[in-house]
Amino acid sequence: MFDLSWEIVAMQMIFGLALGCVYVLMAGGLSIIFGLLDVVNFAHGTFYMLGAYAIFVAVSLCGNFWLGLVSAVVIVALVGGVIEWLLLKPLYKRDPLYPLLLTFGVSICIPDIIKICFGLIGKVVPYPSGLMGAYMWGPVMIPKYRLFIIVLTLVVLISLWLFLNKSNLGMIIRASTRDSLMTQVLGINVSRIWTIGFMIGIGLAALAGAVAAPMVASIPDMGVEMTIECFVVVVIGGLGSLGGAIIGGLLIGQVISFVALFAPSWSNVAIFMVMAIILIIRPRGLFGEEGRL
Amino acid sequence: MEKKVDYSLRVEMTKMEKLTDIKREKGKVGFVDKSVWITLLILLVLPFLISKPLATEILIYGLFALAFNQLLGHTGVLSFGHAAYFGVGAYAGGMALRYFHVSVWTSLVVAMVVTALVAACIGVLAIKKKGVYFAMISLAFAQMFYFMALSPFRKWTGGEDGLKFIPILKLEFPFHVDLTSALPLYYFTYFVVGLAIIALWRILDSPFGRVLKAIRENEVRTQASGFNVTRAKFLSLVISGSFSGLAGALFTVYLGYGSLMTLFWMTSGSILMMTLLGGMHTFIGPVVGVGVFMYLQNTISVYTDRWQLFVGALFVALVLFFPDGLVGTIKMKYRERKSRA
Repeated sequence: MFDLSWEIVAMQMIFGLALGCVYVLMAGGLSIIFGLLDVVNFAHGTFYMLGAYAIFVAVSLCGNFWLGLVSAVVIVALVGGVIEWLLLKPLYKRDPLYPLLLTFGVSICIPDIIKICFGLIGKVVPYPSGLMGAYMWGPVMIPKYRLFIIVLTLVVLISLWLFLNKSNLGMIIRASTRDSLMTQVLGINVSRIWTIGFMIGIGLAALAGAVAAPMVASIPDMGVEMTIECFVVVVIGGLGSLGGAIIGGLLIGQVISFVALFAPSWSNVAIFMVMAIILIIRPRGLFGEEGRL
Repeated sequence: MEKKVDYSLRVEMTKMEKLTDIKREKGKVGFVDKSVWITLLILLVLPFLISKPLATEILIYGLFALAFNQLLGHTGVLSFGHAAYFGVGAYAGGMALRYFHVSVWTSLVVAMVVTALVAACIGVLAIKKKGVYFAMISLAFAQMFYFMALSPFRKWTGGEDGLKFIPILKLEFPFHVDLTSALPLYYFTYFVVGLAIIALWRILDSPFGRVLKAIRENEVRTQASGFNVTRAKFLSLVISGSFSGLAGALFTVYLGYGSLMTLFWMTSGSILMMTLLGGMHTFIGPVVGVGVFMYLQNTISVYTDRWQLFVGALFVALVLFFPDGLVGTIKMKYRERKSRA
């Protein structure tokens, strides 16, 4: 077919790893929200898109990538908090399908608002000046920006782990994930905890969108496809498990990257086939709890 | 989440007994409910009230919504990827017409069989999953079919252009009908959709249909009553899928080509919105929802391209304030007034 040197394989692996990191951030947010609120957030990809547009606006206003990154995450997380407080709160007493339907409605509305504000043409965020170009590691080229994504994801995951396991608020969030009624009995305002958890999840989605923005042209409709790919990741990893989201995200990143190398026309189909195979051999997902789903 | 405390156990028990006690309920109702006859009558004159293509689309999507609602409203299973069945039906029917030159009738049958097989495959993989998880998996599979038609199989499906070069459509049996003009096409669709609606009503009115409704009310209890819940849900999915495939094949006949949009996720989303708009706990509600939705969409899109914004906002309001939909809410109000009088 064609000669396949190990340099190409190594490069493709790094590309896949960076892509996988974006999925890890997305699916991690989805999993936190599901674990805490029992809500499957269909609008997750929409917040990813909002993150990308927020960093575009922030960068074109102030010119600084890092300031833009932070403000994009904060602003979109606040928007998410408002949506949770305004629209999702009334639905918690009803069937768990209703929040899914509501977030679906949100994911249809918001892209149209973005279309009205920014038009249909893709917006590109320039790479931050320090992260252009690539390192050479022997004959293997490692683009600096992809390396940055990998490192950033690692940092975010470690700080998330520390936050959830070592801080007071993190402990309350974990307790509320396990048994919200009991947590409420102990005198915790669970409703506020849920809003905070939702904002953390949305913040992760926005972060994923913001770091992905320089690599892809942001268009208003990019959200739903991301949501669906995110669903695939959590089905593979097991819904509600952070470890599952990480392994699932990395796996999907590699699958997309390598199928794109060998059979480009199948690259979009492959991840769904991986999902089907996982469903056959391990129906609850790689890290899913038995019996929960 | 905390366990749901069952305060209304007694009320529910009597409700469940009614649903699962097949003998007592049987024979009470006629061949088809009154509301079905009224709807069929309205649909009979519809092409003289609104434009004929719009009327035909309402018929096709009406059947699609009814088939979808058999799963959502009557079995209590949300499939977020019903575009898969609609689209596979559209392509299966279209490919049978294009590559094998079969008659229109045969293409409809082919579409139903193929979609039933697809639904069976997805059902085997996913039907045991609970609520939202099944919704996510079905959405993912629908997206898989979309991408399959888009690129790896573009040689046969035509990729994003859709399936073109379908021979000119006409009926030879039982008599000659030219399906390229609007009115004969409408009444051909009306005939097929009408039969399908009656079939769906009969299925839901059968003992099997009562088991489905029992599953919707309380899955665990239905299982405890000795019914094979997984098999019933699986069969419901296959039936729903195959009627959706029939709607898809009719859509290909109506358009004259196989459209890639039938497989797009937005198709799954629209059918869900239409069903909820009409009312998912009624039989005929989804058809009403389709009519209102399509008419609105047609009207709004004249003024603005951003109709999704209005539709989405309307849907959010619907979920928040009127989860029973148009027909469901009217029915409830009517009953309230009746009981007060």
